[in-house]
Order: sequence, then C-alpha cells, then structure tokens
Amino acid sequence: MPVGEHPPAAAAAADVDSGAYEALLQAITERLDWRLAAAWEPATADGGALACVACSTAAAPGLRDFAEVTRTTILRVGEGLPGRVFAGGEPAWLSDATTDDRLPRRAAAERAGLHAAVAFPVRSERGVVGVVELFADHPRAPDAELLVTLDLLGALLGQLAERRAAERASHAAQERYRATLQAALDCVVTMDADGRVVEFNPAAERTFGYTTGEAVGREMAELIVPPELRERHRRGLRRYLAEGRPRILDRRIEIEAQRADGQRFPVELTITRIDVGGTPLFTGHVRDISDRKRAEAELRASRARIVEAADEARRRIERDLHDGAQQQLVSLAVALRLAQRRLDEGDAATARELLDEVDASLTTALAELRELARGIHPAILTEGGLAPALNSLVRRSMVPAAVTAVPDERFPASVEAAAYFLIAEGLTNAARHADAARVEVAVRTDQDGACLVIEVGDDGAGGADAEGGGLRGLADRLAVLGGTLSVSSPPDGGTILRGEIPCAS
Amino acid sequence: MPGSVLIVDDHPRFRATARRALECDGWTVVGEAQDGVAGLAEAQRLAPDLVLLDIGLPDISGLVVAQRLAAQSPAVAVVLVSTQDAGDFAELAAAHGAKGFLAKADLSGPALDGLLSR
Repeated sequence: MPVGEHPPAAAAAADVDSGAYEALLQAITERLDWRLAAAWEPATADGGALACVACSTAAAPGLRDFAEVTRTTILRVGEGLPGRVFAGGEPAWLSDATTDDRLPRRAAAERAGLHAAVAFPVRSERGVVGVVELFADHPRAPDAELLVTLDLLGALLGQLAERRAAERASHAAQERYRATLQAALDCVVTMDADGRVVEFNPAAERTFGYTTGEAVGREMAELIVPPELRERHRRGLRRYLAEGRPRILDRRIEIEAQRADGQRFPVELTITRIDVGGTPLFTGHVRDISDRKRAEAELRASRARIVEAADEARRRIERDLHDGAQQQLVSLAVALRLAQRRLDEGDAATARELLDEVDASLTTALAELRELARGIHPAILTEGGLAPALNSLVRRSMVPAAVTAVPDERFPASVEAAAYFLIAEGLTNAARHADAARVEVAVRTDQDGACLVIEVGDDGAGGADAEGGGLRGLADRLAVLGGTLSVSSPPDGGTILRGEIPCAS
Repeated sequence: MPGSVLIVDDHPRFRATARRALECDGWTVVGEAQDGVAGLAEAQRLAPDLVLLDIGLPDISGLVVAQRLAAQSPAVAVVLVSTQDAGDFAELAAAHGAKGFLAKADLSGPALDGLLSR
C-alpha cells in the first residue's frame, strides 16, 4: 500500500544517479528478457520508506501504466517486494507476483500482464542502499545462476553508488570553497610554484583592478608587487622551493602592493602553502589596510597636535606671566626699595609719590593675574558650571554677544571645559579675524540627552580656515572626548562653529 | 661710581622703572633700546660706562649681545638682568663677558655699585 506521494527530492538524493540507473535498467530489460525494471532507494532521511528513482520498460500501454504506478508508489521498508529485499538484504524471486495478495502493486501488475518478479539489493560499504526489481510477462521459476549474477550486479551498483557519493561530496566541498572565495571580503590570490596566478577572487578583482581572466596565468610579482620588490619576491620563492625554509609563510605581514593603474597601497598579507596532487600552491590573503593606515596616521598626528598645543599653551602662559605680572612685580619691588631709601633719607614726598605708583601698579598686576588665571581655567566654570561661566564670558566679549538656552545641569569637567573654550575661541575669532558686529551662542543637549550641542554664529567676514591652528586644536580637543567640530564659514560672510560632545557621564 | 648707562630691555615698564631707580642714585641714563640689534648700535654710538642688558630680548639672546659687546666695546661694562633669580644666570653671564648679573627686582644704584666694584 502506498504510504504517501513520491517526493520529488528522492530522485535528486539518489545514491546512484538516475541516468546510470536508467541505462542499466534498460540494458537488463533488453538483454535479459525482462519487461520492466525499477530501482528503489530510501525516500526519507531515516531510511524508513523507499521510492522508485528509475524505471525502464518496453513501450506497451499496460506496462507504461504499471511504470507510472511504480514511480508514484512509496513503500515502507519490509513492504512489497523491494521493501522485503531492502529489509532482508537478500535477493527474492516470485515466480508469479499476481498470486501474492500482500503485494501493493499486485492488481496493477495483473492489468499490465506482468507475472514473474525478482529483486536484488544494491550493496555498498554502508550496507543496503537500494533495490532493483525486474518483472517478466510470464511466470518464471527461480534461476539460481541468474540470482548469483544479479547479486553481483547489486554489489557493482553499490560501488558505483559509493563513488558517486564521494564525487558529490567533493563537488559540494569545491562549491562551498568557491562560494567562500567569491564572498570573501579579503583578496585571495593563489599562485603556483612558478609564481603564476591560478586563482583571483572578486575581492582581488575589485582591489587590484584586474579581471580574473586578465590575472590568471600571469606572474603574480608582475601583477601586484611594486617593481622594486619583484626580484626579492622571486628570489624568496626560488629559495623556499630549493631549501624548504619559509620566511614569510603563515605569518601576517604588512607590505605595499600595487594596483593595475600603478597606485600603491598598504596591505596586510598572509601566505599559506597548500599541496594539491603533490604540486605546491601558495595562497595569499590580502587585505587593503589603506583606511586603517590613514586612521592610524591621523591619530598619531592628532596626538602630536594635542601635545604641541599643550606645550604651546604652557609657553604662552610663561610668556604672559613674564611680560605681564612678573614685570609689574619687578617694578613694584624696585619702586618699594627706592621708597624705603627715600624715607630713610627723610624725603617723604618722593617716597609718597613712589608708594602711590606702587598702589596703582598692584591693581593692574592683580587684574592681569586674574585675567591670566581665567584664561588657564575659569574658576566660575569649576564652581558654577557652564551657564554662569558663559554669561561671564559673553559679558567680557569684545564683540556684542548673546548666549541662549544653556542647560543648568552640570556635565563632566572635561565636557564643560571643551564647550567653554570652543565658545571662547569663537568669540575671539569673531572679534580678531571676522570683524563681526554680533555673536550668537547657543548650548543645548540633543534629544536623548547624550550629546551637548554648541553653536557659535557670527555675522563677520567668513572664510575661516577649519584647518588653522585654533580650530584644528579645538577639533582635536573635541575628538579626544569622542565629539566633532564642524565649521561653516562661506567666503561671502558669517561663520558658524558647531560642536557636538558626548556628555553622558 | 655712577656714570652713564644704556638700558636695553623690551619691556617699556621696566625701562622706565630702571631709569627712575638709577637716576635717583646718580646714574645718567644716556639711552634706551628695546632689542639686541638696537642695543649694539646704541652702545657703539653712545659709548656708555655701563649697559644694563636684559637676557630675554625678542631678537637675539642678551647673552649673545653681551658677548658681542665685549668684543666690540671692551671698555663698556655689561650687567645682565632678568626676572629670573641670580642663581640661574650668574655663571652664564660671566662666561659671556658680562661684569655680572642682577635679578630685575634687586636693581638699585648700590646693587650696581656692588657688582661693578668687584
């Protein structure tokens, strides 16, 4: 009795490909005087049911009907003639199948005028992998000699099945390898022992600018190695093949490569040796690290700029102290000593005059020191936060300025300082370079409160250089905090500095 | 003995202070210069008894100016001054042909006399 529809996948999963079966079954029907031959294999993954994977028959209409029934029948293991042979592993011969009521296709066989039936197992190293059955159009007594031949045939078919399975597995592995190669983000370039390219994946095509067709067969050194390194590459390969001592195999190295248009770029390269059929091949995995190198260089440059800016700030403070308060205090000391001596000499009037000068100088010195200290780090920022510090900054601005919407909350000290000095720089630039008449300052947090957004806009001359010392230094300072600075300063006027600083503490 | 003096310093406030202090003590300030090149030229032109010379000049180091003055006008006494204290520069001043070194805050007629009489 059929237990289900014939799954279309069964034939595709066959251990012996159906083409080979069809040819074999056709030979049996034509040469051994059997009218119909069918091959069965497990239809399910658990091997609990069998399906017909090939069927060959003469052209008579009745036979075609039986063949159709056979092709669409699923048999449980142990069921019907194929099921019994699959389960028992031994050939079986029915002199007249139409007399056996247990056979699911008995009626169909009768209609087709089929009588004798014989089935033999297809055996491989894994055991029984299928069954072949034959039908004759007349009753036929068991033929021991034929049974031996069929048993042998079953074993041969089993070997064929094994070989086919191995080939399919190998083919699948190759397909997987090819797919991996195609999808790889890294370039994969394989060369033979002569240094000629035998494999060039799509990433290599994109990176180096050659198609696989152009690359395969050419010497790899000539293709992707910069000219001055080619001879070294060739010598290395020759030496390795002669002495067998690798220097760069299986290591990650950084080196320069060259594109089809001659452009050179840094790559990370790993070369591994693979042996296929005794011939060594060398596979290079190449990764374009231009972006990484650029980022590293920019990081180094920004670190150097930050250190230089800190040194410059120290030099400026030293200069300001030297030129300002220090000179004031020197003058005070000299004047005080002079006043003392005038008093000692009884010249009270000159002493008084000198002391008045000392008093005025002290006031100036104090104011200069206060201004200097504020420039280093304003105390009001430390004590009161951004809002009062910015109000104070704006009050002292040389250009009329307004500040709006400063959040009252406190932020990490480094964030507050970066925001403060961004605005201070904007105000100074507006006065010194842009000749602005008005500056607007706005400070707010973004929607989810993760970022402090600062904008300083002036109505001055525009054309500010974002790469200039002051703005570059600000951008570096913000970058250290994970923030960014953008400068919009068209030549026809107006400058907007916009800083964003992550502020979640 | 007080005589004529040329003051070479880039800070106008110090030049004024020095002029006042030295004049009070009987020195005659014959000229002022604000950098090394002008100082050398004025020293040659005015031939003062003393050049009061700042170390931190904007164009050439005062030490170099002292060395050139010693070669150019050996009769002129040079006293180097700085806002730094004497410990830092006294030896250097001597090595560059100067008569001595004074911290600016210690400047007075008697202090100069002390240095010059050594």
